[in-house]
Amino acid sequence: MLRRVVILFALPSLTAACVFLELDRRWGTHFFSVIGGGDPVLWQQLFWFFGHPWVYVIFLPATGMISLIVPVFSRRPIVGYPYVAISTILTGLVGFSVWLHHMFTVGMSDMAMSFFSAGSMMISIFTIVQVFAWVATVWKGRPVPTAAMYYALGSIALLVIGGLSGVFTGVIPVDWQVHNTYYVVAHIHYVLIGANLFPVFAGFYYWLPKMTGRMLNETLGKWSFWVMFIGFNAGFFPMHILGLEGMPRRIYTYEAGLGFQSTNMLVTVGAFTLGVGILLSIINLLISLKSGKLAGKNPWNSDGLEWGTDSPPEPYGTVHIPTVVTRHPLWDEHDEEADPDNDRVLDQARLTLTTTWLDAEPASIATMPEETLAPLLMSVTMFAFFAAFVFHLLWLGLAAFVATFALGCYWMWPRPGKGTL
Amino acid sequence: MSSFANTVADSTAVQTLPVEDRRGIYAMWCVIATEASLFLCLFGAYFYLGNTKERWTIDRPPELHYAWMMLVVLLVSAFLLRWGEKQVNQARFSAGRLALLLTILLGLGFLALQYFDYASHLKTLTPYSDSYGSLFYAISGFHVAHIVVGILLLAYTWFLPQYGPTTLSPYRPYQTVALYWYFVNALWICIFLILYLIPNLLVYG
Repeated sequence: MLRRVVILFALPSLTAACVFLELDRRWGTHFFSVIGGGDPVLWQQLFWFFGHPWVYVIFLPATGMISLIVPVFSRRPIVGYPYVAISTILTGLVGFSVWLHHMFTVGMSDMAMSFFSAGSMMISIFTIVQVFAWVATVWKGRPVPTAAMYYALGSIALLVIGGLSGVFTGVIPVDWQVHNTYYVVAHIHYVLIGANLFPVFAGFYYWLPKMTGRMLNETLGKWSFWVMFIGFNAGFFPMHILGLEGMPRRIYTYEAGLGFQSTNMLVTVGAFTLGVGILLSIINLLISLKSGKLAGKNPWNSDGLEWGTDSPPEPYGTVHIPTVVTRHPLWDEHDEEADPDNDRVLDQARLTLTTTWLDAEPASIATMPEETLAPLLMSVTMFAFFAAFVFHLLWLGLAAFVATFALGCYWMWPRPGKGTL
Repeated sequence: MSSFANTVADSTAVQTLPVEDRRGIYAMWCVIATEASLFLCLFGAYFYLGNTKERWTIDRPPELHYAWMMLVVLLVSAFLLRWGEKQVNQARFSAGRLALLLTILLGLGFLALQYFDYASHLKTLTPYSDSYGSLFYAISGFHVAHIVVGILLLAYTWFLPQYGPTTLSPYRPYQTVALYWYFVNALWICIFLILYLIPNLLVYG
C-alpha cells in the first residue's frame, strides 16, 4: 500500500526527466545542454528524486516479507508491531527527502548537504527498529530451522552490513572519498541482493507451496541458501576493499599492477558461486513441480489468513467472506469462515465486500473487473504513441492516440454482463 | 475480541449492502496525485533552471492578453460543469448534458486561444531557442495534452446513455470526469501564475 503511494508520487519525476531527455536528443531542445542555458544537473535532480524513493519501493515489500516470515518460524507474534509499522511508513515518507545524497560531489550548499545527510541517517534509525524487532522475535521465540527461515535470517545479516555501509556513504566526507568507487557498488548489492533478493527467496520457499500446492525440498533449499550466502559474500564483500583502494565503478577494465587482480578474481568466483546457488533453487522448483510432497492447507502452521485456503487456492478465495478478530487469524480460537446462515456469501458475480477504513464494518459490495484484453491492447497502442514521437512519426502517433482513446471507450462502456449484481 | 463477529452476525446478509460506486472517483484522485507530481517536477525544473540562470524569466516575460482570456474561459467552464454536476445529482439529466456540451465548447475555445497564444509567442521564442523556451513550451504543451484528454473524456461522458443510479460500471462517470476537468483548470491557474503573471509583475510591477 505504502509502496503504491510512493510510486504514485515518485514516478512522474522519471517521466519528466525522460521526456526532457528525448526532447533534447531527438527534437533539439535545451533542457540539459549548457549551450542552450540548460543544466545537466537537472537530470540528476529529477532522476534521483525518482530514484531514491524507488529504492524503498523495492526494499519495503522485502522487509514486509521478513516481518511476516520470521514470526511464523519463531512461533510467536512479531516484537514491537506498532513500531515496525510506523518505521516502515516513516521510511517511505522520509525516503522523499534524501535524494541529494546521490549527488554530494556535484557541489551544493552546506545547508543542503547537511539536511540530506541527516535525512539519510534518519532512515537507518527506522531500519534498525525493524532489525531489532526481528532479532528480538527470534530471541523470544522458538525458532524452526526451515529454508525460508534461513533466507530470512541471512538477509537480516546482509541488511545490517549493507545498511552500515549506507551510513558511511551518508556521511559527507566519506562519501566524497568513496563516491563512484566499488564501495558504492558493494553497498547497493548488499541492500539490493542481500536485503531484497534474499527475502524474496525466503518468500519463495514460504509461499510457493501455497501457489503450486507442492512443497519444495528443504535440504536442497538449505544447500541453495548456503551456496548463495557464501558466494554472495565472497563476490561482494571484497568490493568494499576494492572501492577503498580506489577502483572506480562503471569502468569495465583497469591497468595491470594496481593490485586489483587477486581481489577481482575472488569477486568473479563469488559471483559464479552465487549463480550456482540460485540454480540449485531453480532445480528445486522444477523437482517440486514434478514430484514435490503435497502441501495441504497450512504446511508451516502459519498464522496468515491465506493459509486457511486450499493450496493452490480457488480463484474466488473463500466461499464465506472471512471475519478477522486478531492479527493472527489462524493462531486464535475464532473461526474465520463461521457463517451458519450463509450471510457472507457473494456468488452472483465477481463481487467482493468493502468495509469501513478503521472499524472494518461491512460497508458495500464492490464489483471486480471482468476479463478483457482492452487494457493490454491499450498499453500496446500507448507504447506505439510514445515510440512514434521518438522516431518523428507524427501521423502514427496520432493514429495510436485515437486507437488508445477508442479502446478506452470500449473498455469503459457500460454493457450488461460487466460484473452486474 | 468478538465485537466484529457479533456485528456481522447481527447485521443482515451482505447481499443487501449497497453497491460501492465511488471507486472511479478514488481512481481519479490517484490520477490527479500522480499528474500533479508530474507538474510539480516541471515547475521544479523551471525554478531550478531559472534559479541558476536568472536572466531568462526577467528579460522576456510572456504576453498576457491571451492567457487572461484562457483563464476566464476555463474558470467559466469549471463553474458551469459544477452546476451541471449538481443538476445530475438531483436527477435533472438534460440540464447536466447541456452543461457538459457547453464545457466541451469552452474547452475547444481554450485550445483555439492557446493556438493564437503560441502563434504570437513563436515569433520571438521557440522550443529550440534556449532552455527557457524549451520549458515554456514543455509545461504549456503538457497542459494542452491534459486539456485534449479532458475534452475527450467529457465527450465520452456526453455520449453515455444514462447518468442516474445504475448497476453497470462506470458508476459515477459525470462526477469522475468533472473532477479531472477541475484539476486541469487548477493546473492552468498555476501555469498562469508561474509562467505568465509573476514574470510580468517582476518586470513591470
